[in-house]
Amino acid sequence: MTYLDRFANGKGRYLDDIKLDNMLYMSLVRSPYARAKIKSVEGGMTSRDLKAYYAVVEGDHREPVLAIDEVNYQGQAVAAVFGKNRYEAEDLLSTVNVDYEPLEAIHSIDDAKKKAPIYADRKDNILSTEDVGVKFNESDIDYDIKVTDTILLDRVSANPMETRGIVADYRDGILNVYLPSQSIVRSKSGIVKSLGLPPEKVRVFLIDNGGAFGVKALFYPEYIIACYASMKYGKPVKWQETRTEHLQACHAGRGVEGTLTLYAKKDGTVTGLDGEVLLDNGPYLVDAAAVDLGNVIHEVTGPYHIEKAHLTGKYVLTNKAPNGYYRGAGKPEASILMERMMDLLADKLNMDIADIRLKNALETPFKSPLGLEMRYPTKPFLEDALKYFNYRELSKKEHVGISLFILDEDTAPGESARIIVKDGKVHTYLGGNVSGQGHEMFVKSILSDELDIEQDSISLELQDTETLSTGVGTWGSKSAMTHGSVLMQAAEELKKQIEEKYGKYSPEILLSHDFDQTSFYKFDYNDNQVNFNIVTSRINEMGDFEELKIGAYYDLGKVLNMANVLGQTEGGALQAIGEVLSETLRYSEEGQLMTTSITDSGVLTADHTPEFDIKIVENPSVMKDRAKGLGESPMIGIPEGLARSLETQIHKRINTMPITREFLFDSL
Amino acid sequence: MMVTVKINGKEYSKDVEPRTLLATFIRDDIGLTGTHIGCDTTNCGACTVLMDGRAVKSCTVLAAQADGHELETIENEADKELSMVKESFIEENGLQCGFCTPGMIMTSLYMLRKNKNPSEDYIKNSLAGNLCRCTGYVSIINSIKNANEKINGKKAVVK
Ligand code: FES
Ligand code: FES
Repeated sequence: MTYLDRFANGKGRYLDDIKLDNMLYMSLVRSPYARAKIKSVEGGMTSRDLKAYYAVVEGDHREPVLAIDEVNYQGQAVAAVFGKNRYEAEDLLSTVNVDYEPLEAIHSIDDAKKKAPIYADRKDNILSTEDVGVKFNESDIDYDIKVTDTILLDRVSANPMETRGIVADYRDGILNVYLPSQSIVRSKSGIVKSLGLPPEKVRVFLIDNGGAFGVKALFYPEYIIACYASMKYGKPVKWQETRTEHLQACHAGRGVEGTLTLYAKKDGTVTGLDGEVLLDNGPYLVDAAAVDLGNVIHEVTGPYHIEKAHLTGKYVLTNKAPNGYYRGAGKPEASILMERMMDLLADKLNMDIADIRLKNALETPFKSPLGLEMRYPTKPFLEDALKYFNYRELSKKEHVGISLFILDEDTAPGESARIIVKDGKVHTYLGGNVSGQGHEMFVKSILSDELDIEQDSISLELQDTETLSTGVGTWGSKSAMTHGSVLMQAAEELKKQIEEKYGKYSPEILLSHDFDQTSFYKFDYNDNQVNFNIVTSRINEMGDFEELKIGAYYDLGKVLNMANVLGQTEGGALQAIGEVLSETLRYSEEGQLMTTSITDSGVLTADHTPEFDIKIVENPSVMKDRAKGLGESPMIGIPEGLARSLETQIHKRINTMPITREFLFDSL
Repeated sequence: MMVTVKINGKEYSKDVEPRTLLATFIRDDIGLTGTHIGCDTTNCGACTVLMDGRAVKSCTVLAAQADGHELETIENEADKELSMVKESFIEENGLQCGFCTPGMIMTSLYMLRKNKNPSEDYIKNSLAGNLCRCTGYVSIINSIKNANEKINGKKAVVK
């Protein structure tokens, strides 16, 4: 039965479908305030019972899994209660009494600049600062014009349709954990570290994943509390997040404000870039932030060769849920900032938006002053893409926005896989997990080609940390690249095993014996690629779309499965459109979340589906399976294209996302 | 209180608390976990089932209100039209993570029974109560068009 059959028949096994004997349901008492002193807590499991931290990084201001003396965002866990079913668990929330003394809270990056530090050991609301590139003086560079702008990409909730959750089941001295995860290996090391357990006492099982988009790569307080509670009570414990909790307490993506200056010559050549990028970090030191902000500041120059560049990144403390990953994790921010600046520069120079990009794209691979190694030439690709969409003609008739961008895939350090052949069936396990992208399709086609067997005899299984103890994860657009490659390597090694034993390889020998092959495909660096999006739209006087068309010109190296490719592109495109038009989390001055439902958070419905023109080109990568990445591309390239297309209709600069319908309407 | 319902042709009687939601009843008390819960504000449609042939969000109905009524969920194997919709979702890759899928399929079934010749706009608007975070809806809309051909034997008219 394929995953399609299982899911279409309601036979998925998601977290909340797990029911174990004597299982307890966990509910959390969460802070109603964005910032407060805790004067007292009575009842429930609190930090008096469990004092632990979940962040893997070491440093000041990590978040305790249960609040100690203070809370710093609305929704922060203060106490946990456990009931026989979810209703009883919620009832028990009222048995906990917390006495708070509310304090002034910081609700935005801007607010953080103005208000007193929230921590006594800081002189301002900056948790830390990071510089990339080399600081330069204006007098050191050759320029005729400089343009500066501040661009805000507000917070976005990942909102997978299945929220976060965990089942922890401590029995016979082993902590068994069931988790929809983008990396059970990483989850396991998080549990081991937070609770100080020996690794051999923890076993994490991957289960069906109802969407991830970054949030299921991370580690959270609730996971640790559930594990601890299962060990303490000797019973299985389930926590399934509600959507309201997801919006309030799940770590949120984007939240980036960049103030950039481009220095350029009259002909459009950009000679320098300087500026500052601020991350709406939340109040605590978390693992995701350094990746998110790091990606922005290292990748901002993208496909362009800019002689001199320097950026300062700052982690800004706010009283909101901590920063987390959201599809792209810093890469979209980098590209949106750069492309919005390129459009601004083009406007100032009265140049065409394609011409300014052609001017700065390069014929050869290059290394940026911010440390990004661009492995493929960007200019010929841009020329081809413009030609494919007939840009010169199109831009005369339509409101067009374009973006040239790079996708830097997180291919290092590689990936693992295990193939077990038993009873004529080939069982496959992927070190990087499946998180709802339909990996099964390419797994079957690759192994069927490599091993010369029917697809029906191949299955992709959900593993646990015993069946496959090594592995990296599913993120960073590299899953098809590393998984495809490791599967090819595993198939080769399996064939070699058979040749050595039986003198030759044949599918018959394979299927009539038992084999077990675990392989690791090693890849030392992050590969990357260049891509292009073009967006045309037409809005009416009400600000509603009469037309919206997304053009994508993506280099996939080698397509492993076309249905996967289209699905990822279309799905990502709608998220990207949502990010421009509606998706965000809004907070009051007091730091109270005003976004109260998934609809409120701006997730788009089917009537926003755009038209598509998707052109896939295949310039093979250096990976064993020749594939290049895709998952994050629509998020990286589409928002700025749409912003530009709208900007030309409302004649007002767009430098904040999401824009609102009121903004559009008022501008018309 | 006792609640008796017929689900997919089979009768179930359970003693439940009056406040029990139909979604919880179906999933936790009966054990049919194909019906999913994706929100707590009646927005996502992952919990959609048919009650007396009409699509309802089971998170918004009390189990008590379903007492004496007939329900159909994604697990039903006896409904030929439901099987056709499922087949179409499989053929058109109308899902990725699969979490929204049962709700999407039940809504689609109801839609195609009500409208024997739905336009693309009609399809899109009928999905207003069902959210999918993975597919961008394109493959879901294609699945519904495909199912319409199977069930109603007509091609959906564009616009
Ligand atoms: S769970 Fe019923 S609408 Fe979301
Ligand atoms: S397939 Fe994942 S939410 Fe629809």
